[in-house]
Amino acid sequence: MILKLWNYFRGYVIITIEGYFLEKFINICIHRQIYLWDIKRHGSRKMTLKISIKGFKLLRPIALKTKCRVRISKRVGLPFIKSRYKKRKTFLVGAVACVVLFYVMTSFIWSIEVVGNEKINTDFILDKLSESGIKQGVLKYKIDTKKVVNDLMLKIDKLGWVGVSIKGTKLKVQVDERIMPPKLVEKDKPCDIVAKKDGIIKSVISKAGFDLVKPGDTVVEGQILVTGKVPGKDETSGVTLLHAISTVKARTWYEGVSPVITKPTVKERTGNKISKYALVLFGKRINLSWGNVSYSNYDKIEVKKVLSFGEDLVLPFEFIDDIYYETQEVVRELSDKEAEDIAAGKAYDIAKENIPEEAEIIKKDVKILNNDDGTKSVKVIIECIEDIGISKEIGGDN
Amino acid sequence: MSSSRRSKKKKEEVPKPRLKEKVTEVLDLPKEVILDIPKLTMIGNNNLVIENYKGVIEYDTEKIRLNTGIGIIKIGGKGLVIKEITSEDIMVHGKIENLEFCT
Repeated sequence: MILKLWNYFRGYVIITIEGYFLEKFINICIHRQIYLWDIKRHGSRKMTLKISIKGFKLLRPIALKTKCRVRISKRVGLPFIKSRYKKRKTFLVGAVACVVLFYVMTSFIWSIEVVGNEKINTDFILDKLSESGIKQGVLKYKIDTKKVVNDLMLKIDKLGWVGVSIKGTKLKVQVDERIMPPKLVEKDKPCDIVAKKDGIIKSVISKAGFDLVKPGDTVVEGQILVTGKVPGKDETSGVTLLHAISTVKARTWYEGVSPVITKPTVKERTGNKISKYALVLFGKRINLSWGNVSYSNYDKIEVKKVLSFGEDLVLPFEFIDDIYYETQEVVRELSDKEAEDIAAGKAYDIAKENIPEEAEIIKKDVKILNNDDGTKSVKVIIECIEDIGISKEIGGDN
Repeated sequence: MSSSRRSKKKKEEVPKPRLKEKVTEVLDLPKEVILDIPKLTMIGNNNLVIENYKGVIEYDTEKIRLNTGIGIIKIGGKGLVIKEITSEDIMVHGKIENLEFCT
């Protein structure tokens, strides 16, 4: 097997020899140190054999001496392939250039993906990344992912975990946002529980402290609900200071108001559109279409196509198709019911914005208000039950 | 005395090959090289290597005759192919049916 491979690399020819003195031919070849192999006889005056290129060049005088006719039936091996491609030099150069270019192109970071962020802006993370030297077009072998992770963790303190991985030409940043712990008063310091918003107390469950309110009481923001100052059994004994621990549930209300609009103006597409094409090479934009958009009102939609091999091997070539849709404002007529429904939806969204996640919604009220100037508006009131207690240090300012 | 004399005479009669043979035996040298004797290696009946041959007299798919130091070796068989051939050794593939030494 190895010998075959070696012969293939050196190159050999399969030749057919015709003549009467074939044995003599073989003997002379051997005598002159020409290596032959796979000699096969076909009939009385014909045989095929394999011979190295070097040996073949020495064959001519032997063939003349033994009056044999030598014909090449096949050329095998690398040297012949090489010589074939020598004639097509540009092709070879192109093939090599292609491989080199591909290697060079794929050794840079061309796209950065940020995954897992909800509250932190992606651009903000990208900004911080570029501060520590990670941006489009950076040589990927230079990037030390551990250092990037450390940098990012130090620069953005809202992150709980950062993972940076390089796949192909893509740098993937996976982040996990940290849920900031609420400011707690240290366990050994005395504190009160105060209300963080207005409401009606539903239940007070205290583990430590002295209740100042009872279910049914109306409280306002900042009011002390459970105090850590526990008076003694009688007048003479002093006040003990405790770290109050208590869960105070209260009913709270959130409201949102939205006007009822019976004749809203709506943007509608007229059906006319203009496409503008642009290429982005290595982060530089080259416009392919000229001229301004003649529409006074339009929606712009950007369709971006990135050249990539698979998902991870992204190349720095982008094709952008900006589509401008002409729009016009149309006044639509709505029935009262429809208009009220839309307004109620909006009002509900406004009200819901302020409700904390842990609050439990127990009731929703929708009211239609008649304003003085004849217009209507919808008011949505959401009733919740939530924990309104918050620790506050006794004697401290906050 | 007489016996020793006789042995001396014998030595004088054929001194060279005997000495060569003895030397190769004593020094453990490969006989085929020193004594110009072919070395035949056969694997089954389809692979034969003959080292230290002198030349090809006849080659056919059914018969190969080789010249060696001890005379002509005739290989008979079917589909005989010379797989490799150099100035020292020859490798024959094919169905070998008989081997003949014509001394």
